[in-house]
Amino acid sequence: MPTGTLPRKEPAQQPPGAQIPAMVLCPQVPLRAARGLHCSAAARNSDSWLVPPPPEPRKGPGPTKALALHEELFQQAPAGARDKANFVRAVQNFGQHNVHKRGHVDFIYLALRKMREYGVERDLAVYNLLLDVFPKEVFRPRSIIQSIFIHYPRQQECGIAVLEQMESHGVMPNKETEFLLIQIFGRKSYPMLKFVRMKLWFSRFKNINPFPVPRDLPQDPVDLAKLGLRHMEPNLSATVTIYQMPSSKDSTGAADPAEPHIVGIQTPDQQAALANHNPARPVFVEGPFSLWLRDKCVYYHILRADLLPPEEREVEEIPEEWNLYYPMQLDLDYGRSGWDDYEFDIHKVEEGPVFAICMAGAHDQATLAKWIQGLQETNPALAQIPVVFRLAGSTGELRESSSGVKEPPPPPPPPEGQEEEEDNQQRQQQGQS
Amino acid sequence: MGVAVLFLRGVVAARASRALVAFATSRRPLRTSPRSRAFAKELFLGKIEKKEVFPFPEVSQDELNDITQFVGPVEKFFAEEVDSQRIDREGRIPDETLEKLKSLGLFGMQVPEEYGGLGLSNTMYTRLGEIIGLDASIAVTLAAHQAIGLKGIILAGNKEQKARYLPKLASGEHIAAFCLTEPSSGSDVASIKSRATLSEDKKHYILNGSKVWITNGGMANIFTVFAKTEVVDSDSSVKDKITAFIVERDFGGVTNGKPEDKLGIRGSNTCAVHFENTRVPIENVLGEVGGGFKVAMSTLNSGRFSMGSMVAGLLKKLIEMTAAYACMRKQFNKSLSEFGLIQEKFALMAQKAYVMESMAYLTAGMLDQPGFPDCSIEAAMVKVFSSEGAWQCVSEALQVLGGSGYMRDYPYERLLRDSRILLIFEGTNEILRMYIALTGLQHAGRILTARVNELKRGNVSTVVETIGQKLRDSLGRTVDLGLTGKLGVVHPSVEDSARKLEENAYYFGRTVETLLLRFGKTIVEEQMVLKRVANILINLYGMTAVLSRASRSIRMGIRNHDHEVLLANIFCAEAYYQNLFTLSQLDKYSPENLDEQIKKVSQQVLEKQAYICAHPLERTD
Repeated sequence: MPTGTLPRKEPAQQPPGAQIPAMVLCPQVPLRAARGLHCSAAARNSDSWLVPPPPEPRKGPGPTKALALHEELFQQAPAGARDKANFVRAVQNFGQHNVHKRGHVDFIYLALRKMREYGVERDLAVYNLLLDVFPKEVFRPRSIIQSIFIHYPRQQECGIAVLEQMESHGVMPNKETEFLLIQIFGRKSYPMLKFVRMKLWFSRFKNINPFPVPRDLPQDPVDLAKLGLRHMEPNLSATVTIYQMPSSKDSTGAADPAEPHIVGIQTPDQQAALANHNPARPVFVEGPFSLWLRDKCVYYHILRADLLPPEEREVEEIPEEWNLYYPMQLDLDYGRSGWDDYEFDIHKVEEGPVFAICMAGAHDQATLAKWIQGLQETNPALAQIPVVFRLAGSTGELRESSSGVKEPPPPPPPPEGQEEEEDNQQRQQQGQS
Repeated sequence: MGVAVLFLRGVVAARASRALVAFATSRRPLRTSPRSRAFAKELFLGKIEKKEVFPFPEVSQDELNDITQFVGPVEKFFAEEVDSQRIDREGRIPDETLEKLKSLGLFGMQVPEEYGGLGLSNTMYTRLGEIIGLDASIAVTLAAHQAIGLKGIILAGNKEQKARYLPKLASGEHIAAFCLTEPSSGSDVASIKSRATLSEDKKHYILNGSKVWITNGGMANIFTVFAKTEVVDSDSSVKDKITAFIVERDFGGVTNGKPEDKLGIRGSNTCAVHFENTRVPIENVLGEVGGGFKVAMSTLNSGRFSMGSMVAGLLKKLIEMTAAYACMRKQFNKSLSEFGLIQEKFALMAQKAYVMESMAYLTAGMLDQPGFPDCSIEAAMVKVFSSEGAWQCVSEALQVLGGSGYMRDYPYERLLRDSRILLIFEGTNEILRMYIALTGLQHAGRILTARVNELKRGNVSTVVETIGQKLRDSLGRTVDLGLTGKLGVVHPSVEDSARKLEENAYYFGRTVETLLLRFGKTIVEEQMVLKRVANILINLYGMTAVLSRASRSIRMGIRNHDHEVLLANIFCAEAYYQNLFTLSQLDKYSPENLDEQIKKVSQQVLEKQAYICAHPLERTD
């Protein structure tokens, strides 16, 4: 019985701070707590719930010994060439070798497992071809009794398995699929029910995500970083700047570690907020935090400041002589009545402003210092502000090799003294530059 | 022509002496007498201040003769010598035309006689505006010169400044320009970047900055410039405040960019003006140091009401031209004038012209009353109504004309281009609507403070009284504000319309009270509400103006007064139903109120900065 037909949700986790471009006005939380909020995402990276399900093939219900039966069909292909043509050939070969289609259920389960290897797991034509392997008319119930008691359950289950794999890869069945299913199992059958449900829900859920991620992510890390940054910062007036291109671009993704890419994003509002920042208060570079884009995890850093203590916050007052044409405020001593007050009584999380976000190929201080240098060109005020690097080291990073292993908890944040040291160093650096 | 000018001057001089006598005898004592309340502000309380608007303002026979004598030559000049098409094509007003305008005295219409101007009253200025409005480029050039350019000197200048600058400005020897807008600053004064710093010897201000879109910027010699200066506040803190300066081109460091290429009013000169280390003597500070904001505001507020008559003049001319075409052009053996849809357009044009003319002259008459009445809301309403009427009517006229309206060989497309600016300059209509609504709400809000506070505190008697009033209103009460009846100010022919006005005004007052109760001072943020409030008020003012004028016309037996009655009744009925609709939109739970949805749509569009619906041909499978 097919159950949920929801397309798989693409994980695109963002820590709460990253989405808030500018100030969040709310009461104050001590520094340590704010930091913990940002670190939480990084610390939890190793948790299994964030890791996409491993791409292991579906375990078919068929007996494992049958594997050997048709495995050779897939091994006939010329070595190395695992593409659609060879997959199609293997499926066709099965039909030719096996006129009576003996063992077709096992073959289909095997083929389903092989699809990913051949890179055809999103190809509708191939799924239709697989369904075509079923003999036609044989499994159609011919009486009410037959259709009440599941007719040829194993075959129906296999058909559902094909549809389920389509579903998990987001492949929308078409008319041909429908014809095949009717021919094979008839209208009143479970695969057909699954098909109808897919038809209904796929179209409704296809565009449900207001922040869609493209199906094929760019391979170039710079492009991927741009995509990720745009994804986190929905403000269209934000500018993406490439502060440093990776030095060697011959092998994608494996750039020279000496010159990793640095891509940053900043909105005009953030620029203005940074320009107004009190130079006596330091700003922090924090990270790395993770962001999932489909099955890829990218890491970003933020430049943020602590929330101003209430006594230092400037109350935004409306200057008397501001608007030439109409009064900007009325001189009345009564405000909005409760009926028209739509402000919910919510507990607001307080956070300091985020001034910029960047994604870099490396997460060390040297790389991020280059980002800060680049930012200074568009934000001259930054040169006067001490910058403190609070990097979680590599603990936050998810390594493919150690993804299954429990990672040690992140080291305790550096003691205050160390921070100050960094702070001073940075001040000196700023002074020199 | 010289004779004509001499004659004109003579007329004006004669009039001036009469005016002076009148000034001496009647004006002084009246100025100190308590002024009755402004009409528009009282409407917000649901009251009609009859004394302000009934009877329709009149001018004396002498003054009328003066006007007629004065208007004749100007009219003749505009009809015979001004080649609007050429001005539009060449992008400049020919020198001989400018010279002629100067010799007619049109550069100093509102400059007092003692400074060599014509010293026209607002009513006479309005009358002349009708003719000047026939060529938009000239109208804009003249308006930039005297309605705003030199107005600051008249309003805020001291005796020396007036004596020094006004005579030459009035004669047109010098042309004035008003320099306020900057690349980063439109109506937001706080973002003005131009700066004037006091020189070491404290005798000069060094002015630096750039101004954009300055009308007459290329040909002006005298600029009213607004720039930031450091002012020591009362609590001895230094603050940046706006100060107005009179800057002569000869002060040095004044340059201007090349004239902008515009959609309409192409004959007027619009360009950027740059000031670079211009040394302005401290005597040339206009008003107080740091008082530039008030100068700018009063200048802008006073310059607006004349648009009404300018557009009315234009529309009258347009009706003539289009009507001739509609009667001549035949289709299906019928002339265009016999088709209902064409007739409708002429009725619309006549109605709009009638209403804006009435509003303009009513406002001018109110302004001419002794005591310097504050009619800035009324003036803003005239501006909004007439600019929108102009755009609508010119567009309808083009519809009558069909293809020839679209061709450059005919003058009509120029009128369309020219009239578009009216909705934008002198404060965009959106901004003026905010002004109209907020100024009135401020007035009403202050008066209603006690009542609102009692209601909010839950004072039993006030609450009961309010509920009782609401009940009576909903049961359909007849509103009588005293316009009609035996001793009413409105003639029985337009009595029905007057009742409509009374009903609208009453319920408007009730709605304003509810709005204040609901939003209080945060109503500033409810722009869609404010727009509706302003729209109702504009309609109410228009209704009042036509009722007042039509009543007067009937009682005096003026030519074609039955036509006026028709126009007045049509407008009042239309405005009444519009008002009813708008009032129901202002109701929080009415189905007509779509504010929430509208806000949501615009929010989604602006977030993506695009039209976000999928293409109609798109499929999901």
